[in-house]
Amino acid sequence: MITLLEAGLLVFIVLSALMTAILRDVLAAIIVFGAYSLGMAVLWIVLRAPDVGLTEAAVGAGIMTVLLLVSIARTTRLTGIELRPVEINWGVAALCGLFVLAILATVPALPDMGQTVGNPVFGEIYNHYVTMAYEQTHVENVVTAILVAYRGFDTLGEATVVFTAGVAVLTVLRREVDA
Amino acid sequence: MMELLTTHYNYVVFAVLLGIGLYMIIDDENLVKKVIGLNVFQTGIFLFFITISVRDGGLPAVGKGSESAYVNPLPHVLILTAIVVGVSLTALALALVVRIHEEYGSIREDVVVEVLEDE
Repeated sequence: MITLLEAGLLVFIVLSALMTAILRDVLAAIIVFGAYSLGMAVLWIVLRAPDVGLTEAAVGAGIMTVLLLVSIARTTRLTGIELRPVEINWGVAALCGLFVLAILATVPALPDMGQTVGNPVFGEIYNHYVTMAYEQTHVENVVTAILVAYRGFDTLGEATVVFTAGVAVLTVLRREVDA
Repeated sequence: MMELLTTHYNYVVFAVLLGIGLYMIIDDENLVKKVIGLNVFQTGIFLFFITISVRDGGLPAVGKGSESAYVNPLPHVLILTAIVVGVSLTALALALVVRIHEEYGSIREDVVVEVLEDE
């Protein structure tokens, strides 16, 4: 059953997502998106995912907002027309509505929230990780154990992605020097 | 219908966030807002993953064994990786936006298309 806190958070998240779509002023959209990320971070904590919540608060609400602000500082913040909300293109909105309906059509087939019976996520792999993680890795936090031990190569791949993105950003932003 | 809503509400929010993100990616003329739309779409998918990992009365998976019911840690790990990869993608996308602004003097898609047509 939904709690008041969850309901409030979900309403806040959907409303702030709508606000980012409607606001024409980029700076306002970025600030609302920061609030959206923070709402998400709190929701992760409520859903018992503290590791994800901390990462979302630091990376999603923190680094992401800074990146967005730096990029508008280096480009432009549209002036003059930004107080009017974006005119909604109803054709595109209808298309997105159809997309949402298509996804909603699959929702009844999903297991009830919080139920483990008939939920394939709670299978053999779950049991193995939860019962064996401490014995095999001596790390009490199972999330950390999976991240750096069982799926260590996955995390190495992640580091490679971050490195590649860093190199790509530097390449894109490098001033062209006359040879 | 109402009963479905009380047991699947997070999945409904997941679908709505995907729709809002998709709308921003397709329709918004401002390239920075397109990138924000991409992030809204992405966090919608995170919500799906975290929601399937929840179990009633489950605690975060921290401890020395299975003496209590834990939520599933595996989706959390996948989403941690996805958040970091998402930030890398955003950084690269924004760098390209800055570069487009240097080249065409605008971060609006319609203006960039106009400049391209004039050339």
